[in-house]
Amino acid sequence: MNRLGAPLRGVLPFVALVAAWTLVTQTGLVSALFLPPPVDVARTAWELARDGSLWINILASLGRVLLGVAASVPLGVGLGVAVALNRRLAPVVEPIVSFFNALSGIAWLPLAITWFGLGWTSVTFIMFNTIFFLVFFNTLVGVRTVPRIFENAVRTMGGSRRHVIFQVLIPGALPSIVTGLRMSIGFGWRALIAAEMIATSTGLGFLIYNAANFHQSDTILVGILTIGLLWLTTDRLVLQPLERRTIERWGLVSTVEP
Amino acid sequence: MTLRWEVVATWLALLAAATAAWGVAAATLPLPDYYLPPPTAVLATLGDLIAKGILPTYVAESLRRILQAAVLGLAVGVPAGLLLGMSRRAAEFFYPLLNFFQSVSGIAWLPLMLVWFGFGERTILIAVNYTVLFPVIFNALLGVRSVPRLYVDALRTLGASRWRIARDVLVPGALPSIVTGMRLGLAYGWRALIAAEMLVGAHGLGFMIFNAQNFHLTARIMLGMGIIGVLWVVLDYFLLRPLEEATIARWGIVQR
Repeated sequence: MNRLGAPLRGVLPFVALVAAWTLVTQTGLVSALFLPPPVDVARTAWELARDGSLWINILASLGRVLLGVAASVPLGVGLGVAVALNRRLAPVVEPIVSFFNALSGIAWLPLAITWFGLGWTSVTFIMFNTIFFLVFFNTLVGVRTVPRIFENAVRTMGGSRRHVIFQVLIPGALPSIVTGLRMSIGFGWRALIAAEMIATSTGLGFLIYNAANFHQSDTILVGILTIGLLWLTTDRLVLQPLERRTIERWGLVSTVEP
Repeated sequence: MTLRWEVVATWLALLAAATAAWGVAAATLPLPDYYLPPPTAVLATLGDLIAKGILPTYVAESLRRILQAAVLGLAVGVPAGLLLGMSRRAAEFFYPLLNFFQSVSGIAWLPLMLVWFGFGERTILIAVNYTVLFPVIFNALLGVRSVPRLYVDALRTLGASRWRIARDVLVPGALPSIVTGMRLGLAYGWRALIAAEMLVGAHGLGFMIFNAQNFHLTARIMLGMGIIGVLWVVLDYFLLRPLEEATIARWGIVQR
């Protein structure tokens, strides 16, 4: 195929999907109350964008993600490195952290509401728990899988403990840390949407859940599409390139069997 | 994955210390009881809910739902992903669509499902099945597509039929990716299930902890969270992760 072919092939499936969607709604196969036609959804999207409510909700959701990341990533990486350095403590802490990973996200919501009430604090608490434990876990595992031979090499050449930590262990763990970051934001984004439905009165989760109360299927669909597009662009344009570059730059291709 | 006795002993000691600290904090801190119930209250709730039969029923409900989604993923998602992956054109067409639908979590569809099906079992099941199904289809398709052409061509030059190539090359080659997809799908699905049970509220562990919050039954919330965590750790640690590791060891393709 020519150079025009590649992007066209990416768009074509969505054109087909919208065409099929138009067809089922125009022929009256599905009631517009349940599935409004694409034209209506586009009009609703335009209206929500013009009166600003779409932007406010997008900003609220993205702000919560950023707040969660800013609060939990430095702590997760720091604690992960600190625990991994202690060879007796690390195998003990690992299963505990993986237990909290299993609990991550929305299961914290009832306790969060009990402690902090409805609102920002509860949602931030949930985001913190979701992102923190995954980043902690991946840092811990990342540091522990750096082959000892690199550490010993720096040591025999007179490197101090600080050298080992900053020149060997942290760079060696970076690919695992970034993978953890990407995964945790994926889980966090999903948990956020669910938490916003219950605990707040702004954000995309609230937008679609509130619309369900009024049977506004068009608003719900605008919200669903926004949620999907936001995640896809964040993942494609920020997280995936970050992960790839980190692995290319710091990934260990070990020729030594650990 | 060898658990040494030393580790287990340290772990138990740590658990005992944490529980003791929690007990002291609950007894001395000037907080209302519902804020931080003592560990004994959580234990008492465990006994109470088992005796009343509430806990076994709710655990069974949640497990039944996630199991049902796993079965559908295996029975429908895997074959669908494999079939789509076999044809280059079909794979190219469906890849962007599947990628999009996999990125929209099942919970985001919940409001629309509520409009369509109302508050009930059907809405929960659809949200969970959706969440499990798309990563499974997507990864099965990716798995087939990532089998090196070389192997397919090698068999073809030896005169193998399409069916033979599918059975001996494509499906085994896709297995590691399929298992990874199942594990990821179930991880997302378990969380979606808890959220859906909270929002829709028809039995299950999610409903239990969310409903307990309305009555300030914090011990019940903590118990529920503990059970949700333990169930997933058991499922992931003893079933899904060993399965993934074994599959990659047996069928993983190491390219040189």
